Amino acid sequence: MAILEVSHLKKIYTTRLGGAKIQALKDVSFSVEPGEYVAIMGESGSGKTTLLNILAALDKPTAGEVLLEGRSVVALKEKEISVFRRDKLGFVFQEFNLLDNFSVQDNIFLPLVLAGKTYDEMVKRITPLAHRLGISDILNKYPYEISGGQKQRAAAARALITAPRLLLADEPTGALDSRASEELLSLFSEINRDGQTILMVTHSVAAASHAGRVLFIRDGQVFHQLYRASLGREEMYQRIADTLTTIATGSERRQA
Amino acid sequence: MKSFFYFRLAMQNIRNNRKTYVPYILTVIGTILMYYSFHCMADNPGIRNLRGGLVVAMIMNFGTSVIALFAVIFLFYTNSFLMKQRKKEFALYNILGMEKRHLGRILLWETVMVAGMGIAAGFGGGILLAKLMYLFLLRLMDFPVQLGFYISWDALKSAVILFGAIFFLTWLNALFQLHLVSPAQLLQQQRAGEKEPKTKALMAILGVVCLGAGYYISITTKSPITAITLFFAAVILVIIGTYLLFTAGSIAWLKFLRGRKKYYYQTRHFISVSGMLYRMKQNAVGLANICILSTMVLVMLSTTVALYAGSENMIHSRYPRELLVYSNRVTEEQAEAYEEAVNGYLEEKGLSAQEAFGYREMYGTMVREENRLRGPVGAVAILASVEAHFARIDDFRRMADEELPQTLEADQVYLLYRGNNIPGDVLEIAGLDFRIAGRMTFEEAGVDPAVLTDSYNVAEVYVILTADGSVLEQIAAAVDQEIGVEGSIFDCDPAQDQLRYVYGFDLGDEEQAKEVQDQLYVLLAETGITQGGVENRFDNEASYYEMNGGLLFLGIFLALLFLMATVLIMYYKQISEGYDDRERYQIMQKVGLSRREVRTAIRSQVLNVFYLPLAVAVIHVAFAFPIIVRLIALFNLNDVGLFFLTTVVTVLVFAGLYAAVYAMTAKIYYRIVSN
Repeated sequence: MAILEVSHLKKIYTTRLGGAKIQALKDVSFSVEPGEYVAIMGESGSGKTTLLNILAALDKPTAGEVLLEGRSVVALKEKEISVFRRDKLGFVFQEFNLLDNFSVQDNIFLPLVLAGKTYDEMVKRITPLAHRLGISDILNKYPYEISGGQKQRAAAARALITAPRLLLADEPTGALDSRASEELLSLFSEINRDGQTILMVTHSVAAASHAGRVLFIRDGQVFHQLYRASLGREEMYQRIADTLTTIATGSERRQA
Repeated sequence: MKSFFYFRLAMQNIRNNRKTYVPYILTVIGTILMYYSFHCMADNPGIRNLRGGLVVAMIMNFGTSVIALFAVIFLFYTNSFLMKQRKKEFALYNILGMEKRHLGRILLWETVMVAGMGIAAGFGGGILLAKLMYLFLLRLMDFPVQLGFYISWDALKSAVILFGAIFFLTWLNALFQLHLVSPAQLLQQQRAGEKEPKTKALMAILGVVCLGAGYYISITTKSPITAITLFFAAVILVIIGTYLLFTAGSIAWLKFLRGRKKYYYQTRHFISVSGMLYRMKQNAVGLANICILSTMVLVMLSTTVALYAGSENMIHSRYPRELLVYSNRVTEEQAEAYEEAVNGYLEEKGLSAQEAFGYREMYGTMVREENRLRGPVGAVAILASVEAHFARIDDFRRMADEELPQTLEADQVYLLYRGNNIPGDVLEIAGLDFRIAGRMTFEEAGVDPAVLTDSYNVAEVYVILTADGSVLEQIAAAVDQEIGVEGSIFDCDPAQDQLRYVYGFDLGDEEQAKEVQDQLYVLLAETGITQGGVENRFDNEASYYEMNGGLLFLGIFLALLFLMATVLIMYYKQISEGYDDRERYQIMQKVGLSRREVRTAIRSQVLNVFYLPLAVAVIHVAFAFPIIVRLIALFNLNDVGLFFLTTVVTVLVFAGLYAAVYAMTAKIYYRIVSN
């Protein structure tokens, strides 16, 4: 059974004064199998972020359905949403979204604290995770004392510590330099090999080339998808780049 | 045209920042209104011409200065808060190509507008408030109501000058702030948390010392006259101690909470404790401000309400009977003859003396050290004085309900006292040793202390009863010799049996009292008593209401002013922190914090933060209680029970108000954070 099923998702924003309507998503359908690593690519304004917000239950669609492990995310009640978010999902954001008033360790503990776990349990979970992400030394530092790459690894640790069904990443490499990006992406690949399902939104070809499957979104719908199958990183990179070129030139031709 | 552009921008800025600007403008209006009203009251000829009006005018003048001082500090504080909130906005203008001098011009317009609004509304409201205050005051002081408005142009002029100067200073300060920072700095959000102060151990120790010293002064000061001099020292010590301890103490306490893993890692504590540690210094200073202002409100209200409510009590203790006769040199025969003559006269008129009392004594203030009484010498004497009354036990027997010993030996004394008991069995008076034959408090003896004590109202009063006049003579001589004064500090002549004489009674009729008072003088002369005076309570009653009414009035309005400040500080604290915390709460909601949890977290934070200053303020008030009891004793108010009652009621009312403000600000905070 698919872990995530998205069918005929549609989102229309109405401006506050009730005048203009903006269609962010027209008709999006896809599904994600357990253990998959999916990247969603698209230009700015293609509806990527809207899609991610709906998946995370941060926003409601105008029409369509999202099922996580067979359960409707759209139909969640206000009260259940927070619990759903912290138990089932892990988030990694472009801007890290670490809290300056917490040490790195407390930032990672945050979802567990919200879930009411005991301190002993938290410590038990963080030790191997921190070791694996290479942040054991900086647990007692504060976010403003560490580098961007370290921040993003701390954010990843916060997303993973609840052992979520699905890891959602929104441009995770957007604010990182190329070395830190590369480190984070291989980390994601590693985690994925261990069975973690990942859904990543990005417009970086390099980032997407790590994924097992790439979905291309344009004008609010899934335009194309690419499977890695047995392709290597380099080949995958080339394929993605080609596809993007096709999409771009295609659109130019259409405009002409 | 160009200046119109800046004017419009300034207007727009005020409108866009209304969430912070509206409370600021209200504060400005409120402060100007208060200042003008008090100044106007001080000038009002209608008040000056009242009986006792000069006292009220003096009190109002004092109030005006307090408000002026307060206005400078407080408007400066709120304005700098406002500027801090707007740094980002200024940076944006700067980046968009506006130079700092242009920004300065916009700020000038903004200041002028706020000042104009404040002075116009403050003046308008002030005319009304001054009238209301006037009516209220007349009512408090038992005067008939007068109509018509009084407008003081002097008050307006000085308000314009004072507040003009304050606004000019805030504008200069804003310019200075602008020049200090570059746009890049302005735009960059301060992300790092506040560092712990390095000197926190020293701060804690100093804080404890200051607070302890302040409390110690309050508890140990026995003499009201010392209390006056030490009260302000104690207040300043407690204020310093509060700032230091709130800083050092709150940080240590928060770190302790963070260290307790079981407590810390619970949703509501996790968020609130870390948030408070993040801005620990700002937090501490804000709390200390609230605490001190709350203490001021409580002390001022409870004291002035007690004074006003205790007016009756004060009048009684100063004028224990409606008519009082004092004379310094009266023999036993003269006293008897006088009382007989008075009674005869009253009988003729169909009146009778009720609650009459009369006694003869030697009286003076002395210094007590353990079981020694010495004559008063130098300044020290004033600070450590006790009231000492010496009398023959025979003269005093009729004063007491309780049976006093029939005879005393020449080297024996019998003690009646209020305040501290004298230790041991021997009392040394100016070098003479006496055995203490027995002792009782005034209450035990059934003697009303009001008829004995004079208006000095020192805490310790002793009545020392001796075998006969020759002992009094010895004592007078010994005291005179000790301090080197000829003719006795007691101003009487025990060798000739000439002692101080006090006689008083009630008639229960103000009209008759006046007439009898005149006759009491005549009878003094007829009895051969050459010096002395007669006091009529009815003549002096009103001045107590004037004084206490004026003070209550001042207390209420200053308390209102400080209350306004307290509310504003709370409001600004919540708003500024709300904007700071908004992003954090949004992130936490993304990670899975529910709206309900947001609410409980806020409640936990605000509960911790807001009730702490209130609790400390109540502790301050409790420790201030003893010294204030001594201070109000100077006003002849000896009713500790009454003062206790007004204090408790004031604290309860204030706590209620405080809770309301808390609920309101917590709601605003929640709205900011969750939007």
